Formats: sequence, C-alpha cells, structure tokens
Amino acid sequence: CSEYQKTLKAEDISAKFKMGETLYNEGEFNKANALFAQIVPNYRGKPQAEKLMYLYSKSFYEIKDYYVAGYQFERFASSYPKSEKLEEASFLAAKSYYMLSPVYSKDQTETKNAIEKLQDFINAFRESKYVPEANALTKELAVKLEKKAFEIAKQYNTISDFEAAIKSFDNFIFENPGSSYLEEAYYYKLDSAFELAVNSIESKRKTRLEAAKGYYLDFKKDYADSKYQDDVEKMAIEIEEELQNYSSQS
Amino acid sequence: QNPNTKYTIGEITVAGNTSFSEQTIVTYSGLSKGKEIYIPGEEISNAIKKLWNSKLFNDIEVYVTNIEGNVASLQIRLSDLPQLNELKINGVKKGKQDEIIKENNLNKGVKVTENLITTTKNFLTKKYKKDGFYNTKVHINTIEVKDSLDTQRVNMVLNVDRGEKVKIKDITFNGNEVLEDKKLRASMKSTKKINRLRVWKRSKFIDSAYQADLGHVIDTYKKNGYRDARILSDSLIVNDDKTISLQINVTEGEQYKFGEINFIGNTVYSDLYLKRLLRINKGDVYNSILLQERIADNSKPDAFDITNQYQNNGYLFSSINSVEVNVEDHVIDTEIRISEGKPAYFNNVSVVGNDKTNDHVIYREIRTRPGELYSKANVVRTVRELGQLGFFDAQELSPNFLNPNPVEGSIDMEYSVKETGSSQIELQGGYGGGGFIGTLGLSFNNFSIKDIFKKDAYKPIPMGDGQKLALRLQASQFYQTYSFSFSEPWLGGKKPVQFSASLSHTKQFGQNFQTFEVDKSRSFNITGITFGLAKRLSVPDDFFTLSQAVGYQRYDLNNYNTGLFEFGDGYSNNLSYTVGLSRNNTSVDPIYPTGGSSYSVSAKLTLPYSLFNNVDYEALKIERNENNVIRTDVNSTPTEITDANNRIAEIDQERYKWLEFYKVKFKAEWYTQIAKNLVLRPSTEFGFLGAYNNDRGVIPFERFFVGGDGLGNYSLDGRETIQLRGYPNNSLSGQDGGTIYNKFSLELRYPITLKASAKIFALGFAEAGASYNNFKDYNPFDLNRSAGVGLRIFMPAFGLLGIDFGYGFDPVPGTKTSNGWETHFIIGQQF
Repeated sequence: CSEYQKTLKAEDISAKFKMGETLYNEGEFNKANALFAQIVPNYRGKPQAEKLMYLYSKSFYEIKDYYVAGYQFERFASSYPKSEKLEEASFLAAKSYYMLSPVYSKDQTETKNAIEKLQDFINAFRESKYVPEANALTKELAVKLEKKAFEIAKQYNTISDFEAAIKSFDNFIFENPGSSYLEEAYYYKLDSAFELAVNSIESKRKTRLEAAKGYYLDFKKDYADSKYQDDVEKMAIEIEEELQNYSSQS
Repeated sequence: QNPNTKYTIGEITVAGNTSFSEQTIVTYSGLSKGKEIYIPGEEISNAIKKLWNSKLFNDIEVYVTNIEGNVASLQIRLSDLPQLNELKINGVKKGKQDEIIKENNLNKGVKVTENLITTTKNFLTKKYKKDGFYNTKVHINTIEVKDSLDTQRVNMVLNVDRGEKVKIKDITFNGNEVLEDKKLRASMKSTKKINRLRVWKRSKFIDSAYQADLGHVIDTYKKNGYRDARILSDSLIVNDDKTISLQINVTEGEQYKFGEINFIGNTVYSDLYLKRLLRINKGDVYNSILLQERIADNSKPDAFDITNQYQNNGYLFSSINSVEVNVEDHVIDTEIRISEGKPAYFNNVSVVGNDKTNDHVIYREIRTRPGELYSKANVVRTVRELGQLGFFDAQELSPNFLNPNPVEGSIDMEYSVKETGSSQIELQGGYGGGGFIGTLGLSFNNFSIKDIFKKDAYKPIPMGDGQKLALRLQASQFYQTYSFSFSEPWLGGKKPVQFSASLSHTKQFGQNFQTFEVDKSRSFNITGITFGLAKRLSVPDDFFTLSQAVGYQRYDLNNYNTGLFEFGDGYSNNLSYTVGLSRNNTSVDPIYPTGGSSYSVSAKLTLPYSLFNNVDYEALKIERNENNVIRTDVNSTPTEITDANNRIAEIDQERYKWLEFYKVKFKAEWYTQIAKNLVLRPSTEFGFLGAYNNDRGVIPFERFFVGGDGLGNYSLDGRETIQLRGYPNNSLSGQDGGTIYNKFSLELRYPITLKASAKIFALGFAEAGASYNNFKDYNPFDLNRSAGVGLRIFMPAFGLLGIDFGYGFDPVPGTKTSNGWETHFIIGQQF
C-alpha cells in the first residue's frame, strides 16, 4: 500500500491537502485532483479554501477535463474577487471553454460560448498579459465559424444544388465581410452560377448566363490575379460563347 | 435614520444559529465594509434576497446596530435551514419509495424548506389522483433532531393514505333528447364507468381528464349540428369509499345547417379549388369541428387541408379563419377569411446539437435549403429522414423556425438534433459444439473511415461520417468465421449513391468420428465478397431506391462431406447479380415506425451458363437418375453402389461448378396509427427460386426456410430464413428448404416507452405462411397459421432484443396435431 493510497483512505484533511499540493507540484495532477476532491467540502468557508480551490481548478485543467475546469475556474473567480489569482483564473476559465470547441464540422455551441467568455475576459482585464493570447484564441475560433459556414455553402455546390449554394454564399459574403475565405466564396458562387446556367432549361438559360457573367466581372475586379484565374477564364469564355447564341438569334 | 442620506457601512456582524463563517455570509450578502448605501434601501433588500436565494437560510433580517454620523453598523441575523436527516415513508411500497425520493430530491442533507414540503405533498397527491386514487391524503411531519452536532437537522415523516381506488359507478346525462346517454358516454375518452369486460381502459376518475371529456361531449354535439349545446352543470356524487357517480346536465339547442360559404382574400387559389378542399356544401349539417379540420387539421401534420395547401407552397405567413357572418332560421353563412401574405423563402438553414456527426452528413439530407420556397411538407420530411439516419434520437428531433420576416418573406430554419449511441459491441465466450466458442462483433453505424489514422479522433472510435462498419469474428475448435462489411451512403459525396462492400470467410473442419476431436485435414471453406451500389431515384418519386450488387462466393471442399453436396472433394462457385427496387417512406422512428409503408422487389440472377457451355444436362440428368436407382436398389452390390455414388458426385460437381439460378422476392409492409400510439403493421412477402435449365435443376442453395424466429444464424448455403412465429425454426420447409414461399402477417404494436435510452414496445401478431417445392404444390390458401404476443426492447448499445410467444394452429409437416406454443428470442433483428 503506497503512501498515496494510505492518505487517500485516511481521515486527516490537512495531510491530504499537503500531499495533494506536493503531488500537484510534481505534476501528478490526477492523483492530486483525487485528494483535493475529497477535502473541498471540508474547507468550504475557511481561509485556506482560496488556495485549495485554485489548485483544484487547475488540476482539472491539467488533466484536460476542461468542462469541469471551466466551471471551477469561473466559480473561483466569482467566489474570490479579490484573489491575486483572479486574472489567471478568469483567463483559464475562458481558455478551458476554448479547449472544448470541437472541429468546425460539428455543433459549435461551445465555440460561440468560448468566444463570449474570452471576450468577457478581454473586457474585464484590458491590461492583462493574457490579452494577446485571448485575442489570438478568439480570432482562431471566429475563423473556425467562418470555415463552418463556408464549408456548408460549398457542400451545396458539391451536391449540385447550385441555387442553394448561391444563396448560401451570398449569406456568407454578407455576414463575413472580412473573412479569409472570401475569395473562395466568390469563386464558388461564380462556379455555382455557371453550373446552374449551363444546366438550365432553355427558358431560364439566358438570364442565368447573364447573372453568371455579372459574377465573373465582379470576381475579376476584386481578384485580378487569383489562383482560380484559369478556371474563371474558362468559364467566362463558355459563358460568352453561350450568350452569342442569343445575340445572333435576335 | 434619514431615508435620503447615504450611510457608509461600518462593522457587519452576523448573529443567529448558523454554522457558516461570518466572513462567508457577509461576502455572500454582497454588503461590505466601506460601501455606501441608503437605509432602508435597495442594497439591503438585495442582500436579503441573495441570502434567501442561496436556499441555506431561514428568518433572514438585517438590522442597524449603531449609527455614528454617516457610519452605520449592520447586523445580519439568520438561522440555518435544517438539513434532512432521516426520511420515513408510510403507506407506500418499498419499491416505489426510491422513485418518490428521486423525484422530489429528498436525499439526506437536503435543506428542508416550506417549499420542499409543499411541492412534495402536491406531487404525491397528484401522482395518486392520476392513478384513480381520488381520496389520497398526504401528511408531512418534520421532527427536530436534538444532539451534539451544531447543524440543525430534522427527521421527516411522509404519511400517504391512498385510500381505495375510486371508480365511476355511473355517468348520467340530463336534458339530452337528440343524442343518447350511450353516445355521449362514448365520446368521453378517459372518463369511463365500470365495465369488467373493458381491460384496455379501466374506470378511474381524474379531474383534468374529466374536464377535457366534458369538452368532448360538447364536440360530439357540435359534430351533429348542435352549435349551441352547453353543459349547464355537472355534479360528482360520492357513493361510498370506492365509487362515485357523475351527473351532467346539458342543453342541446337547435340543429343548424351550413348556408353560404364564401372565401375572401384568396388570390393564389380559386374559390372553386378551395371549395374542393373544403368538401362541405350548402345544406349540410353544421359541423364546426369538421369545418375547422378542413381548414387546419391539427391532429395530422400532413393532412389535405386548406392550411397545408398554403403552407406547402411557400405561404408560411398565411392565416385562415372562419367567421360566422349570418345566422337565420338555423342556417349559418360562413366566411373563410384568408390572409395569404408574402411567400416565404428559406434564408439560413442550420443544424445544432451534432456533437458527433459531421455537418456534411446532415446537410445533404436536409430538404429545406437556402433560397428555396418554404414548404411545410419538406420540413416534416426532413425531420423524418434525419430520424431514419439512426444517428439521432428520433423523438427529440425538432425543426425550429427562427427570424420569421413577413416583410421580406424569409425564414431561417434550425434543426435541433440529439446524438444517440449508434455503435454496438458484442463480445461472447462460451462452451458449445465440443469446445470453446469466442465471438467478437463490432458494429459502428456512424463511422468515419477517413479518420482512422488520426489519433485525436479516437473518442473512443472515429465517428461522424455516416459510414457503417461491421466486423465479426467467431472461432471455435471446429470452425472460424470472419466477416467485414462497410458502407458509405454518399459515394464521393456528390450524389446519394450508397456503396457497400462485404467480405466473409468461413472455415469449417471435419471431426474425427472415433475420438470426436477436430480433424484439420478435412475442411470446408466458404469465401465470399459482395459489392453493391444503391441509388436514390427521383422518378416516380424520391422515396424509391434502385440497388445493384455483384456477389461472388466460393465453396471449397477438402475431403469433407456435407448434406449440401454429393461430393466430398471439389468446389462450387456462385457469381450472382442482384437488382432491387424499393420504396420506403416509413416514419419517423426507425425502431418504432408509426406511418408510411415500405415495398421492395428484387431479382438475383446468375449467368445462364447452360446456354453456352455445351454440356448436355439432359443426358447427365438421365444418367444421374439411373445411378440413383442403382444406389438405392437393395440388390446392388457394394462396388456398384460405390461406383454409382462416385458417378453422382462427378455429375453434381459438373452441375454445381458454377451455380445457375434466378431468385425473385417481393416484400411489402404498411404502418398505420389506429389510435394514439397504437400501430398496425400488415405485411406480406413472397419469394421464388428457379432454374433456367430444368435438366440442370434447381440448386440446393439459396433456398427459403420458413418457420421460427427468422434469425439468419450460421448458414453455409446462402439460405434465407423466413420468420413465422409459433413454429420451430425452419420446421415448415423440410430438410432442403423450399423454392417458393409466401407469408402474410398482421402485427399490432403498442409502445411502453420510446425514450432514447430504451425503447420498449409490446406487440400482438397473427401470421400465416408456407413454403413449397414447386409451382404444382403452390397453394396460397394452404398456410400454416399462428398468433401470439411479444415484447421488443431496443437499447442503443445492445441493439434490438425481443421475446415472442406464438401459438401455431397447424401441425408441422409430419405430425397430426397443431403445433402449440413456441417461445422465440429475437436478437438484433430490426423488424
């Protein structure tokens, strides 16, 4: 039976605190966390609770249980508004939520929550040394949300629902005017309009070709040397050729 | 104190019976030394509120103890709420007590508030009244515990006196002349008088249900044109402890008829068209319920009514009301006022709640896409189809309409989903068949093959791309089977073309007949591989699927005699092409469908080898029959018999080198909700296995085996087991199986619970079926009939489990008396 096991089973709360602290400093966060969890109720309302709660929260963070870590850090911040660890705890609370944000293709409730929490932190601690990191994390999450919206719109293009694609890219461009996906969005919008036009029934063909031509001209204006240059030009030529049919007929 | 002066807080002290530290209470109250406040003022009432909300204290008051100039000293007086120490429940069975404790959170250590006592009391009274214990009385006492501990604690005693179950002895109506008591009683759905023959709905009195039933009585009058019918009064008479009587006084009024019905405000649809939807004519008996149903039938989301006509064609913002404009001589003129609004288009369409499944898997199934015209039918269908993916809890799927904008004509859609477990693991070990048998089965229904090399994706397995992957390994001393299957519903991600592949290998060893040990020198191997493509069609409608598959199977015999082949050394190949057409619009929950139907017809074919391989099968058939005569002739010598056997083996090897057959199957099932939750499922199926060349004969593989639980367990020969409960497994088809079968079945299902964690339903069934060896014997009326009851439990981690008790009315072939009761265990079968 190791000393850790003995302490874990014993009743002595101060010994548990002490050992938990030692283990924490040695990087044994799982073990430390187990010890802290036992004594948290006993220290409630006592002066040592502040330190304990900080270590307890941090141990959750270290064992990557970000869900609980975020909650515990937030509780710490609201319970000890005068603590010297307040700033760090507030930041780690927000960062824990950042850690919970899943890949872009899944539900982004956590991402939106994290952005909110990070923003709250930045607003509350404008001078903090953590602000640059918080800003970087916020930016990363915002880009993730952009990517999500972009990929959803792009999928409509992939599954050949070009009308839905055009509408979605319109919404995307309107809602994310500064996005790094903007050029791609314009390109796929043009591509969708082009595919829609050339696969149209006769009665809708001309208007759709003209719309696609309009999108082409917009794209040319904003992205003069795009990586999609060749594709775009190819489409433009085909649109022109198709439109010729109508002008010669009339 | 001057209410207009700001005071600075000096000392704050805490008094009263509390185990919390002074500092904690002060900090929690939000008051602090040096703070400037008004006395009395908002800060102090906020502090009291805050302490109250902690649900830890009682009798909270804040006093000013001292004022010096502008400095006020405060004292917070409070006492801790007592904690619950012991709970005693009288009058409730032990088994039910835990539920009460859980529902009301009556755990040890809980703070006992007045609120807790009142809500618990209400909860119990309501709970028992709901079950018909109308005279339930609940008393709650608390007794203070006095001991050395400084926390205040109480013991609680719950006394529940349910009394006798109250039944309704009689329901009488007064004032009714046109409609009989009987008819009015029948319209009361939940309030029924005692009738020992009715087991389905027992007589009990629940006030809320009774009030609703009074409404139903009036509805019955309204349906018959008595628009002015009212309940004048009703009285409840307590006969004794067990029974009550109900007396209801009604006034009927006169019968009304429909007069002119005019449409106002319709521009999209003509009066004539709307009248056709309404199906009500001038002179009909006035029926406001019917009128309302034809305008908007709230009980059926896909009803053919006027509202849906607008809703399914983009007019989300339309509203339709009927107004009685003129009443004369009991004839009512009606105006149907329609406000059409702008047609609405979907703007943003989003999905929330997909913690596991990737966006692209969901969005491609959504039928309401950005820029499309709003259609209620498409929303309903999207919910149905998302539910059928099996990744989400079908009961919790909900479409949310966000940001409706009648001015621009736009609406955002959000589909809220809840992931459910979709993986199943089977791990088994046991003794059987003369040795240890181990089974490992894994089936992942929402797999992601692209993530299998990503370490992060293992939580615990890569998921979210909607692919299905199943692995099954089974091994014992005598046999080993390996199978692997994979399917991707959208091959390449562009079109809904499902790709599937499966591989299997079975190795069976011979047995030494003296020692009963495994003889590895003799073996029988079957290796199979199948590839399939299934495409969703858009014509005739998009519920259709066309599927095609190519399969190859090789049987290899190595000095191994089975009942399948006449030869012990040899091989057989089965290369087949299957084409199937199916239509499925069952909804919503794939485990418990409540509506829709599913049809499938398929043909499995091999090449007609006998047409071009230049083998004279007729000669072989004659020769085989001759040899068969020799070997069964009692006068034949052993050498002659051996020679005949060898020749038959040679001939069969020639016949089965490449299997030649065609197989046609048809299956249909319907689901209808006949009452709330009660679902009727009629189904029928038919199968035929034939040969191109009658001299070559119908193969002994791929046959139909009717009877029993229908579980396709360990089989070597591509056989199809057809469920027919009430009979032993495969008992209705003989040793070799049938080449034709048909089956008719009627099932009535009732759900016990449809929660995501476990779906349970009970069923009753009546079915009949039979298999035949050829068309000459075929007689669709010569069936084996059975009936019975069963239960199904679906839990996401285990799949479907079930038990059925069936009674077979007819004798199985070879016996004379009816087969009687059979018990069937159903595992993993989805239907």
